[in-house]
Amino acid sequence: MAAVRRIGCLLVPRFAAAAAVRAEPVLGGRPLAILDEARPGRLVIEASAEARALGVLPGMTEAAAQARPGVVLCRERVPAQEAAAQQALLEVAVVHSPRVEEAGPGEVYLDAAGLGALFGDEPALARRLAARARIAGLSARVGLAGSRVAARLAARRAEELVCVPPGTDATHLRGAPIALLDLSLEMARRLARWGIRTLGELADLPGRALYERLGPEGARLQALARGEDPRPLDPWRPPPRFEETRELDWALDNLEPLFALFAECADRLCARLEAQALAADRFEWSCRLAARGGETIAGAFVPPVPTREARAVMAVLRATLAAEPPPAAVTALVLRAQPVRVAASQEPLDGEGRPSPRTLAETVARVIALVGPGNLGVPVLLDSHRPGAIRLDPLSATPSPLPSPPEGRGNGGVLTLRRCRPPRPARVRLIGGRPVHLRAEGLAGSIVASAGPWRTSGEWWLDSRWVSDEWDVELADGTLGRLAHDGSTWLLEGIYD
Amino acid sequence: MAITTESLPPPGWGLEGSAAASLLEAFPRGQLSEIVGPRSAGGSSLVTGLLAHATAAGELAALVDGADAFDPAGAAAAGAALRSLFWVRAGRRLDHACRAAELLARSGGFAWVVLDLAADPTAPAHRPAPALGPATWIRLQRAVRDTPTRLVVHASRHLAGSAAALVLEVARGSARWAGAPRPTRLEGIGSRVEVVRSRPPSPQPSPWEVAWRL
Repeated sequence: MAAVRRIGCLLVPRFAAAAAVRAEPVLGGRPLAILDEARPGRLVIEASAEARALGVLPGMTEAAAQARPGVVLCRERVPAQEAAAQQALLEVAVVHSPRVEEAGPGEVYLDAAGLGALFGDEPALARRLAARARIAGLSARVGLAGSRVAARLAARRAEELVCVPPGTDATHLRGAPIALLDLSLEMARRLARWGIRTLGELADLPGRALYERLGPEGARLQALARGEDPRPLDPWRPPPRFEETRELDWALDNLEPLFALFAECADRLCARLEAQALAADRFEWSCRLAARGGETIAGAFVPPVPTREARAVMAVLRATLAAEPPPAAVTALVLRAQPVRVAASQEPLDGEGRPSPRTLAETVARVIALVGPGNLGVPVLLDSHRPGAIRLDPLSATPSPLPSPPEGRGNGGVLTLRRCRPPRPARVRLIGGRPVHLRAEGLAGSIVASAGPWRTSGEWWLDSRWVSDEWDVELADGTLGRLAHDGSTWLLEGIYD
Repeated sequence: MAITTESLPPPGWGLEGSAAASLLEAFPRGQLSEIVGPRSAGGSSLVTGLLAHATAAGELAALVDGADAFDPAGAAAAGAALRSLFWVRAGRRLDHACRAAELLARSGGFAWVVLDLAADPTAPAHRPAPALGPATWIRLQRAVRDTPTRLVVHASRHLAGSAAALVLEVARGSARWAGAPRPTRLEGIGSRVEVVRSRPPSPQPSPWEVAWRL
């Protein structure tokens, strides 16, 4: 027995306007016209239902739209905002079904067969899809049927959701206009000449005669009109990066409003990550400046643990931008996330495990706000003999299943050097090639014992070559230090303590 | 081929065996402790040793570095598992360092949080200790209370007052040099670690004679 095919259609009507409302929620429920700046006269390409009620229609000029009674808000079309909204819609679908197809702006199909055990019956699934789309900032209509065309028609006719019972697609489609099939211009003219205006009329034509006149395309269209849709879904794959953007009609020259807009982007981005059970291990931001010919400044940061906490992201972003504000007013901003799947980890039974990723991310974000990004992390020794050669990596929130192996020879009883960063210039008096007196900032005295020099060098094959002769010295007051001589200058590298 | 044993530490050196265990157990969980001592006395070596033992045992430790003086290579040589050590460089802003330590202690996820307020390595020995008010220590003590974290403040002198449940004083011993009559190598130093304040009284035997080798 052939499996029953069920297709869901998520449809966002007036998609460009919906994308603008998603990016700027205060526009919701208000008369809104979307303009295409590229066309002469700044034509309206889309109008919200409220704007249509005032008589604003696509094709009007901006001036004509503004002349309608009532206040019509006009926004330029922002392809990046539409792309982000489209991604969000696709992500709503892909959370519910492994097979999702992108059909066009604001239109997504998903394979809805066999989802009953997960989400309940079809009306429950449709309600859930609509609710998830609302959380993603989009007001979507949902149609469920046995074919794409029937699901699309159901979604178009729905206030919010319509489920066409299995086996009734043909009946459901009979009265639908022929334009629902996305015909080519030539095919539409031909069918119009024949007087075919509805899918029912197309479905009733004799199949053999239709094939003789229109070929395989005619047979395919008739099958679609009868609710027969054998073509599998063309699968959509999630993008490697998540992005949210905001274009501004006015330039922002104050940090607090800029933070508020970034926070909106972070909220949307993190909601998208959460919907797919993902987190991000790298965030990138950029701001387009009003001055300097629209120059863009950008930056990136790596959270200490992969996160989808908007508050943690904003803590780092605030610290970063507050430390180095944009040099001019900002006209657009973008926030991107590099998604990763975070494996669940077992908490140890003795309760001495690491902090939860959420706690750790929040704590570390607040510490970053204090000390600045780049000043905290797990130290990693670089493969170099250069003194103090390290880098800082993010701290993993996932505990190692085994105790960490010691990296050195020690048992804890190693004399520690407190480093001067950077090493302090010092004046050293020598007698017989050995240091006998030291004077540096905050430290001076006779040297009563010394050992050295211990020569280290490296990167002699590069411009960054270095050489250092190190001495261990003991001053008369008992202070033990390490000196270095690079051939011309004496430096105090640190104090043993 | 002759094998030299010159570089091996003599018996009793370092934080080995029972000495290490008794020292580690001296630090109470959920309390503020202090390690104080003058320059080159071994206080930083003691801190590094504690961090090495904790991280090698799989515990997560945080070091808030108020002087930007921590040497990760030295900690690795002491046996620390650096991937379990979270290093915060506070850029010599002691107020930021205290606040960061408070946040980390309050999170409760770190077995050890060490706040290093020992002076900049080249700060004059006579320079007064950082001016941090009593409220700072009360806040830190309250932050760590009811958590499994051991909060340790390392400074050149006693700062935390009655907020510290344990104060260890590190006294400078003599430096050991190899080679005679002219030294050829610094071998290490000796320290005397003594409990000068403990609430409740520490059951651990004190003082400890500890030797640190280079």
